[in-house]
Amino acid sequence: MLCAISSGGEQWSWLPCPWRRAVGVGACEHPTLLRPQRPRRVVGLQGSQTCQCTAVLLVSTLCFTLPRDTEDEEQLKPDRSSSNEQESRPSPKELEELELLNRALEKALKVRKSILKTPPEARGGREGEKAANEGPAPKNAQVQQVLVSSEGVPVTTKVRAVNKKPTSSKKPSSYLLTAPYRTDPDVKKPHRKAPARCVSQAPRTVGKSPSKAVASKQARNHRLAISASNQEVCGAAESQKTTGLSKCALLEQQSVSVGDSARGKNLIAAGRQLFDAGKEGCGSLGESSRKEDHTTEDALGRNNSPRTDTLQEKGSQLKFPPLYRKAYSRNSRAWENCRLYQSSADAAAARNRFIERIQTTFCSPMPAFSPAEIEEEVKVMQDVPLLLRQCVEAERADHPTLQREYESLLTLEGLQTIASQCLHKLQLLREAAESQMRLCPDCTGDAGSCCPDYVPPRGQVCGSTGVLAVPLLCYSSLQELRDLFALKLQVSMLNQEIAIQKVMMAELLPVLESRLHPEVSAIQLYRAIYTQLCEGGKRFPVLVRDELLE
Amino acid sequence: MFCMLTLFPRFALLQSLQFWRLLYSLLKQVHGGQCTESDAIDTQIRFVKSALWYHGYGRPELYWLPSDGSAGSRELLLAFSWLLHRIGLLEQLLARNRVRTGDETSVCTCEDDLPNSQKGRTEIAPEYSLEDKVDVRYLQWLNGRLRFQWRSLHALHQEQCKLLHKIHLFTSGSHMDKILGHFSVTETDLIRRPENYKQLLQFLESETIQLEAFLEWKQLEQVYWRWMETVLDNMSEEGSMCKSQDAHTKKSTLPKVDSCCHWAGSLTGKIDRLSRDLMTVHDQLQELVTRRKSAWYEKMKTREEELQKEEFCAAARKIQEAVQLKLLDLTYRCALRKKKMHGSCRLVFRSKHSASKTGFGRSVSKEPISTVSATEVIRELQMRKASLERELKQLQEECRQRMDEVAQGLDGVICISP
Repeated sequence: MLCAISSGGEQWSWLPCPWRRAVGVGACEHPTLLRPQRPRRVVGLQGSQTCQCTAVLLVSTLCFTLPRDTEDEEQLKPDRSSSNEQESRPSPKELEELELLNRALEKALKVRKSILKTPPEARGGREGEKAANEGPAPKNAQVQQVLVSSEGVPVTTKVRAVNKKPTSSKKPSSYLLTAPYRTDPDVKKPHRKAPARCVSQAPRTVGKSPSKAVASKQARNHRLAISASNQEVCGAAESQKTTGLSKCALLEQQSVSVGDSARGKNLIAAGRQLFDAGKEGCGSLGESSRKEDHTTEDALGRNNSPRTDTLQEKGSQLKFPPLYRKAYSRNSRAWENCRLYQSSADAAAARNRFIERIQTTFCSPMPAFSPAEIEEEVKVMQDVPLLLRQCVEAERADHPTLQREYESLLTLEGLQTIASQCLHKLQLLREAAESQMRLCPDCTGDAGSCCPDYVPPRGQVCGSTGVLAVPLLCYSSLQELRDLFALKLQVSMLNQEIAIQKVMMAELLPVLESRLHPEVSAIQLYRAIYTQLCEGGKRFPVLVRDELLE
Repeated sequence: MFCMLTLFPRFALLQSLQFWRLLYSLLKQVHGGQCTESDAIDTQIRFVKSALWYHGYGRPELYWLPSDGSAGSRELLLAFSWLLHRIGLLEQLLARNRVRTGDETSVCTCEDDLPNSQKGRTEIAPEYSLEDKVDVRYLQWLNGRLRFQWRSLHALHQEQCKLLHKIHLFTSGSHMDKILGHFSVTETDLIRRPENYKQLLQFLESETIQLEAFLEWKQLEQVYWRWMETVLDNMSEEGSMCKSQDAHTKKSTLPKVDSCCHWAGSLTGKIDRLSRDLMTVHDQLQELVTRRKSAWYEKMKTREEELQKEEFCAAARKIQEAVQLKLLDLTYRCALRKKKMHGSCRLVFRSKHSASKTGFGRSVSKEPISTVSATEVIRELQMRKASLERELKQLQEECRQRMDEVAQGLDGVICISP
């Protein structure tokens, strides 16, 4: 933090290790994280830790003995990490250690397996070997941070087993080690790049018979899904009635092939993250909120070709299990019937009669619009000024021909009419709002306590008929889907930024303008506030002392 | 609840208290809130009353009911029936509690004010009390953290898109419902591990039962409404006698408009802002129109003969029609803007070349389900994004100007903006 202030042109967004930034003020003062002697200490702790922590520490150990291949990795590391960069190849001693660690992991895995008693465990072992045999297939340490939610508790036991896959290390850089999940709920995500590359391992969806890795994948899925469900919450997710297990399936995915360099990066990132967490004693890293817990999945292209083909081949032949299929078809038929049901004319007539009659008993000078309608109309009108302005702009240009000019004139006149009509409507709405306030039931007593009880319905636009069918949003390509999500996020971000900007303006500008800050240098304050308010926190102005004055 | 509806005569036996609670829970559900059963009855009653007011229910007798819930079951019955029609209560409940097995996403482009913005503000406020000084660096740090979270979220979203697409692509052609065409993530997982989804199955089945009850009710609807009319008749007979006395006393307690309401305040504020904007546009237009008109008449003076020609008149008429259409389209767009979907939609992958195969022909025969294409949504989002960016830039400009003023006050320093 402090460093950032003093280094003028630095852009926050490009600081190498945001996770460190996120840790807090002390972040800059942790250069010790990647010193080489760390692994020793870590190993020493091994005996006293639980199996999980063991694996955690093991992975971190491994990570720091990895060769640093690409220059991208340089970016990931803090500038202060010194000694590790010198190591280019793990020494034989470290390879030996690695072997030891791997064997320890295997033991731990066996322990887990016995706890779980699920048949696929053996298959999980086989899978690991098989994957290891695929030499060129990239293998990365899979480091997962799991947010332990209440739903996740039964799942996590499976997860543990999954993660303890033994590695057969052919070459130093092809560790197949998977760190176990973390029990600590508030571990920060290490690097922003990591999630970009992190792709959850896909459970291969093979038709009816579960594949050998189903259990492991399922577990991973569940785990990922728990975190994914959090992301969903963070994002624009809607709450679903189906349990968290259904959200578990969100990150199902095919194998990801990540290049060698990426693998290295992932490991490093993962390792650093683990290490950081380990350093903090597997405790929470402070003020991270629940929303910040993301799973960091470093892609493991482990189960490459066979799994991919499975879903790819058989995907179009999948069928619902028969029980579900029956239920589903009954359900969709029922929905269809409800949606298409037309009330008989008599029923509709009877209903209308009743409604008319009851409305005659309403207070006699009923305002023209109900509060719901007023809000609705105002919402609709929100965009009108903008639209009109756009049209006016379009007509401002010079028109070559007489006819164009005539057309433009007519258009402008029409726009003027529309504007005055809208103004009139707004006037009506305002009057209706005022008269509705007179009728407001809560206002009959205490001032200031009415109506906030009532939160108007969100998104209740469609009439009753439209509500019975879930509309479909059709996309035609991956790029479209991505653009859609990206744009939604950007719009929501912009909304938030605007809200923040308004609040900051209201709070910060008076501070500067009133000059009530004797103890703080005005210049620094000015600079900071300028950055925040005028540059969105991204760029800093340069303040030059005007020497000539002296 | 639907089973109850089919036995509606029993409603008359419902005690008022229960009826209030019923209405409370229904309305809360419809409005997306959580039913806090622990709420005292008068809070619940107040909620129901304000909800009814919000939707425009104007029967004063209801609002005069005591807040201990001891009387008025027939009034409540009337109100309930009115709600059934007015907001499609049953349909809304069904839709809200629907079991969703698809990959859902929302296309709503409006960002409503934060809910409970009044209450929420005090909760969201950090641990600092107002006397403590807050370091502006803390602010910067928070800002940076926020940006980081956004970026991570973006990355995760992109990953999610990739995965969703893969699943959709690979399972194309296998869904029972040909309109959908492929499985969603939940469904795919369900196929792999059916035993995990027992609860889903139960929900599905109970929902089917509810739907069937709803259909039954729809068939008996006519009887229901006729019965309600009789209730209304009875009530108005009884009520007309004592109405005149009550009305007099009640009206005097109605307060002036300017006493309270947060709702009205914010709404009238919005309306005023809109009116101001529209006013400026209107004035601009007025100026432009008068200018153009005078220029036009100038031009026309010199071309009197031309105006007499037939072709020009015909052309003028055509232009007028075209303009009218354009304006009509504009008004339509204005009005239609918000009729767009606000709820969540199911994501469906339809590649362009398979459009012919996906049973479109079949679906046309019945009423098609409303479909939105991603391109439309993207376009709309882009427009919204552009307008928001403009707004943000405007705010930043304003800040810049004010900061410049402040900078003049700082002696010996020149600020060079990046």
